[in-house]
Amino acid sequence: MRGNLVNLNVNPCKMCMPMGVMTAMYGIKKCVSILHGSQGCSTYIRRHMATHYNEPVDIASSSLTEEGTVYGGEKNLLQGLLNLIRVYHPEVIGVATTCLAETIGEDIGRMIERFYEEHPEHKDITIIKIPSAGYKGTQYEGFMTALYHIVKTVPMNPEKHSKVNIITGQLSPADTRYLKELLAEFGIEYILLPDLSENLDGGHLHTYSKLPQEGTDIRMIEKMAGARMTIEITISIDEKNSAAKYLYDTYDVPYIRCNLPVGLRDNDEFLRILAKVSGNAVPLKTLKERERYIDAMIDSHKYNGEARVAIYGEPDFVVSTARMCVENGIMPMITATGSKYPKLRELLEQEIMTVSEAFFIDDYKIIEDVDFQTIEEYARDLKVNLLIGNSDGRRISETLEIPLVRRGFPIHDRMGGQRLRMFGYEGALTLIDEITNEILGRKERTFRENLYQQYYIREESSTQISEEAAAAVHNWEGDDSMENELVKRQTIEEKTAKHPCYNCQAHQYARIHLPIAPKCNISCNYCLRKYDCPNESRPGVTTAILSPKEAFLKFMEVKTKVPNLSVVGIAGPGDALANFTETKALLTLIRKEDKDITFCLSTNGLMLPQYANELIALGVSHVTVTMNAIDPKIGAQIYKYVDYMGTKYYGETAAAILLSNQLAGIRMLTEQGIICKVNIVMLKGINDHHIPEVVAKVKELGGVITNIMQMIPVKGSVFEELPLVTNKEIMQMRVKCGEIMKQMYHCKQCRADAIGTLDSDRSSEFQTGNQKEAPLVDKEYLDGMDSENPSPRLPEEAEASQQVTTPKLYMAVATKSGIIVDQHFGQVSEFYVYEYTKGNAVFKEKRPVNQYCKGSAECGEGTDKMDLLIQTIADCDAVIAMRIGDGPKVKLGQKGIKTFTTYDKIEASVLWAANEIKKLP
Amino acid sequence: MNVMNRVLDQYNSKVYKNRKEHMVGVNNNENNNEIAANVRTIPGIISQRGCCYAGCKGVVLGPIKDAFIITHGPIGCAFYSWGTRRHKAKKDEGVANYLQYCFSTDLQEPDIVFGGEKKLKQAIVEAMELFRPSTIMICSTCPVGLIGDDIHAVAKWAEKEYEIKCIAFSCEGYKGVSQSAGHHIANNQLVRYVIGEGDRKITNKFSVNLLGEYNIGGDGWETERLLKRIGYEVVSTFTGNSSMDDLKNSHQANLSLVQCHRSINYIAELIETKYGIPWMKVNFIGVDATIETLRNVARYFGDSELTARTEEVIADELDSIQEDMEYYKSKLKGKSAAIYVGGSRAHHYQFLLNDLGVHTILAGYEFGHREEYEGREVIPFVKPDADSKNIESITVEPDPEKYHVYLSEEDLKRLKEEKLIDYYGGMVKDMKDGTYMVDDLNHYETEEFLKLLKPDIFFSGIKDKYVAQKSGILSKQLHSYDYSGPYSCFRGAVNFARDITMGIYTPAWSYVKSPWKTAPVLSGSLGGEAVC
Repeated sequence: MRGNLVNLNVNPCKMCMPMGVMTAMYGIKKCVSILHGSQGCSTYIRRHMATHYNEPVDIASSSLTEEGTVYGGEKNLLQGLLNLIRVYHPEVIGVATTCLAETIGEDIGRMIERFYEEHPEHKDITIIKIPSAGYKGTQYEGFMTALYHIVKTVPMNPEKHSKVNIITGQLSPADTRYLKELLAEFGIEYILLPDLSENLDGGHLHTYSKLPQEGTDIRMIEKMAGARMTIEITISIDEKNSAAKYLYDTYDVPYIRCNLPVGLRDNDEFLRILAKVSGNAVPLKTLKERERYIDAMIDSHKYNGEARVAIYGEPDFVVSTARMCVENGIMPMITATGSKYPKLRELLEQEIMTVSEAFFIDDYKIIEDVDFQTIEEYARDLKVNLLIGNSDGRRISETLEIPLVRRGFPIHDRMGGQRLRMFGYEGALTLIDEITNEILGRKERTFRENLYQQYYIREESSTQISEEAAAAVHNWEGDDSMENELVKRQTIEEKTAKHPCYNCQAHQYARIHLPIAPKCNISCNYCLRKYDCPNESRPGVTTAILSPKEAFLKFMEVKTKVPNLSVVGIAGPGDALANFTETKALLTLIRKEDKDITFCLSTNGLMLPQYANELIALGVSHVTVTMNAIDPKIGAQIYKYVDYMGTKYYGETAAAILLSNQLAGIRMLTEQGIICKVNIVMLKGINDHHIPEVVAKVKELGGVITNIMQMIPVKGSVFEELPLVTNKEIMQMRVKCGEIMKQMYHCKQCRADAIGTLDSDRSSEFQTGNQKEAPLVDKEYLDGMDSENPSPRLPEEAEASQQVTTPKLYMAVATKSGIIVDQHFGQVSEFYVYEYTKGNAVFKEKRPVNQYCKGSAECGEGTDKMDLLIQTIADCDAVIAMRIGDGPKVKLGQKGIKTFTTYDKIEASVLWAANEIKKLP
Repeated sequence: MNVMNRVLDQYNSKVYKNRKEHMVGVNNNENNNEIAANVRTIPGIISQRGCCYAGCKGVVLGPIKDAFIITHGPIGCAFYSWGTRRHKAKKDEGVANYLQYCFSTDLQEPDIVFGGEKKLKQAIVEAMELFRPSTIMICSTCPVGLIGDDIHAVAKWAEKEYEIKCIAFSCEGYKGVSQSAGHHIANNQLVRYVIGEGDRKITNKFSVNLLGEYNIGGDGWETERLLKRIGYEVVSTFTGNSSMDDLKNSHQANLSLVQCHRSINYIAELIETKYGIPWMKVNFIGVDATIETLRNVARYFGDSELTARTEEVIADELDSIQEDMEYYKSKLKGKSAAIYVGGSRAHHYQFLLNDLGVHTILAGYEFGHREEYEGREVIPFVKPDADSKNIESITVEPDPEKYHVYLSEEDLKRLKEEKLIDYYGGMVKDMKDGTYMVDDLNHYETEEFLKLLKPDIFFSGIKDKYVAQKSGILSKQLHSYDYSGPYSCFRGAVNFARDITMGIYTPAWSYVKSPWKTAPVLSGSLGGEAVC
């Protein structure tokens, strides 16, 4: 992930200001525009507008050359204005600046004055200057600033009249036409600024006029100062660009601002406004449309629930589309705008959470000032299955094979972008149908295959299943491994189909990792022994070790609550085979209870030759071996030592022993039909060039899949400072190795005690009593003692002695359940305050607060409420929440209150947070 | 009043005078076809021309698949040049392909005030972290030249820091008068820093460079297929479907074939001086033109086997298309066309149209120079002006090691005299008397000429496409081919013929009446005040 790499914009999700200005000016009657700068700006913008609107687009340029940059461009601009007037006979001219003009500091106002002085015969032409440096904002800001300068420049007639000003952002001509029809139906007399519906989506006429003949008449603009009110249909606007606010400040025209009428709620609201303004009831036709839309919402909700969408584009578009998606139970996984618009999170977070919480989705992104590269990375990670936005997302659509529903600007790879409608209930209905149909289409293309892979039991093997069960039972008693092996070979395909780690189609199947294996027999340089083995698990959180009996009980408990449980895995936290007694005991216990469940374990492979046959006899069908190198020289750089048969080996000897056992072990397994996956941790500068050889070897040995993984840097390990390979490099390596054999692309690097599907770890629901007996901090001690290398204990002892001197810490916890940290900071109605002393977390009190954020409707004054909220917990040292916005985080930081985000049991979280605080300087 | 005067009539006297010089009624007998070209655009006239950056980044550098091009400037220019030109490229094993990407430093106001060099450096650091390109190119946009960022110093720094190739192009939009300046700047830097660095083994003595072929809609692929079929080795194509490695090896070829003279003639000449490789103007658009080109190339190499093979391939390729071409010709014969595009295509496509019996009644270039209209013989008479002087003109010396000759000095001299090599005769000689050449045809003039000349087809770009369509005239884009192609060589000719036939005979047109069929042509008034 790119994280904070922000200097290189990769595939921009925005355009420049002059683009917006030129588009807005196309909504003015008999207006042509000239861009003051080099002619490329005009050419590029015309090109993009022409491909979207499929109409001629005439934009002049002052065609500045190098000479102009030295002596100023006044001569060019004055000439340009004259030539433009001569050929086009406009009533209005928009003069917009560009990067070039703004950088050399052109005084356009002065030039226009001079033009009028020199050419009094053109006094009746209104020339509007619009400063629009390309580096000052995006096309959205350009569009709005153009409108602002129009009302500011056009001489106003403040005489009162009954018309209503309607000011909009960049709408599609189709939406604009709908708006006009609706206003007419309400009987509202209006002045619409701008109106590009005809000029940029005209019919084929007998005569073609190059001067736009439709759009807002300048004589109407003059009257805007006398209107009875203004409705500004955009919410993302910066006050300083607001034409409505200008009219209010200067001429006392009251204004109201509203969301785009997209989706149910915002159409309802918009109609309410129009009904109130007009004094007329909502037209019957519109009410009918509303009924039809709601009917459609209900009809398609089942399919919509599967949609995980990414919405990108201009802020207004993103906000409105996201709100409509939320209404329909479509989860906006990514809402992103290329504009700088920090308010986006505030506007959308609550909205999106209504769906995310209902659907149990705990990760989604709301991002501003973003490029397509970032959107693509998130889309991949968050398993987005539909994109909504302009044509420029088509590359993501192609790469990730996700359909794209095209809306917004520009749409230049399809026809009719200008005719796409979103406004009104009917616009929403069309859009929602399109979205639903993409989801259905995708399903139709894939579900037969998926069904077949996951559920279909072939005739010949259906009987074998019960045979296998019988054989398995028999085996536990009789241990006839020959017979067992025969059965297993026939059913292993089905088992793989239900194993989420081996089959990416199987992610709805759940697995449980049982942490019964604390010891390890090798020392990897990327590992610190007090944490779980990073080959298989996320470090940083240690697992409570269970005895085989406890693990069995946990399995039974989970089995009743997680019906789709198909796999039991043993993944550490050490090495399963270094704890073979426990492993064997557990597997035997479980097999007695459940004949069908798949056994899966992971190991470094050192003891594999010794135990391979026993594992097969126990019914293990899937084994993961972590093998980072097949060259002892390289291996020697990765492993500190190997503890084999009671002796510690170092260097190349260690690597060679490990390697030969891995190779022999894998072959033993694959020869008997066991599915072998090989994990390879990609280490920059160590084994990154060697990986294809490892993969080729795995293939030769009969492995089915390799999983090339990121190293997770563990503080205190030898490789702590080793630079990470990028995700891209990993992907490239996977693609490269994909030519050799199947690659795993969906690895989550789960915890050793993970429970649930790959998408949602439910382990914290099942954290049992032994957590209480052994709090987290002490647990780390236990791990240290288990370790054969006692040195890690020393720093911990030092830490422990520090604990005594640590003063009390108060922590405010955001929780709904009172058991787990499960609430967003912004949603808290009461905090649980905990006191931390000497390694203990003690509940002190519940502290009710005013919820500072209840959704966009009341969010206007959010900042003040937030301050109030922060005052409520001002005496606390830290806040622990499931998530927290950037705004509150900064404010809390300023008050010296630390913020932590987690999803874990409260006590454990408090201890963890306290430890983190102690680490701070 | 003749057609040109009627179009010019709407202008005031000064614009009238200026624009008149850009229009020529072709008369090859009197040999007075002088045209004004490559001079400043009149402000406020809606020209179709682009800027220097577009010529440099968009045209010449854009197609190089493994060049990581960072547009240094505010976001617009990078965005607008992203995927807007249909230069196709195939992904090669072991060669990065950045054609789908767009990279920009996205300069913000503080960068304009305090300078953008730091951000550019950081962008390169991030590029290395994310993509590890082997070549980075930096293209600057308008404000960069004004705030004085030293992109060349940054390029040097990056080369040292990362041991990669990093080349800076000062192609600020305001330089020169059109895209043409950008071509020149790109050419200079490629000669300076790229060509001559490769050491790929070239074993085929019939080795050629294909210069000025950008593989729009796959044209380059079709041309290369044909050349390979005859037995040529295409060492490099500038720059369609090319990798940096291809370009680096171009000095090893024995002949440069120049398709687009305008955008690449600098390189053609400079590598002749430096490495001894002559260049030949070719044209692979049109069946007869392709045949003539292939025969000329064979003549240069002067090998009887190659010549025989050339004839064999011509016969075979012709055989495979003849029936189709005859059918399409029967549908298109007698139609008329106007072409306004590029700096070479307006010439090339007249050959293909001739093959189909379509006559061209008006042709013009957006950014051609006088030699593309009148031939290279006018070069000594072209007066350099302030704008052309601002573009650096580089000189090179013969390379002591890599200079190589294929032909003897006498043969070379003979071929030069025959104008087979190192010569381009321009467009006008191939146009009939009574037709028109118009340089930098603007939006208004387009509309007027279409009304007056009533061509059946107007070939242009996207910006003027819709004016033609609104006027009831079939429009065909020759920049992007309206999502079609290839149009080059034999098979391409059929694609083109099919597309045009489909366009003319679509029933949709029968429901549309051309405006000039019902409305009188415009009435003009004479100009007043003296401004231009």
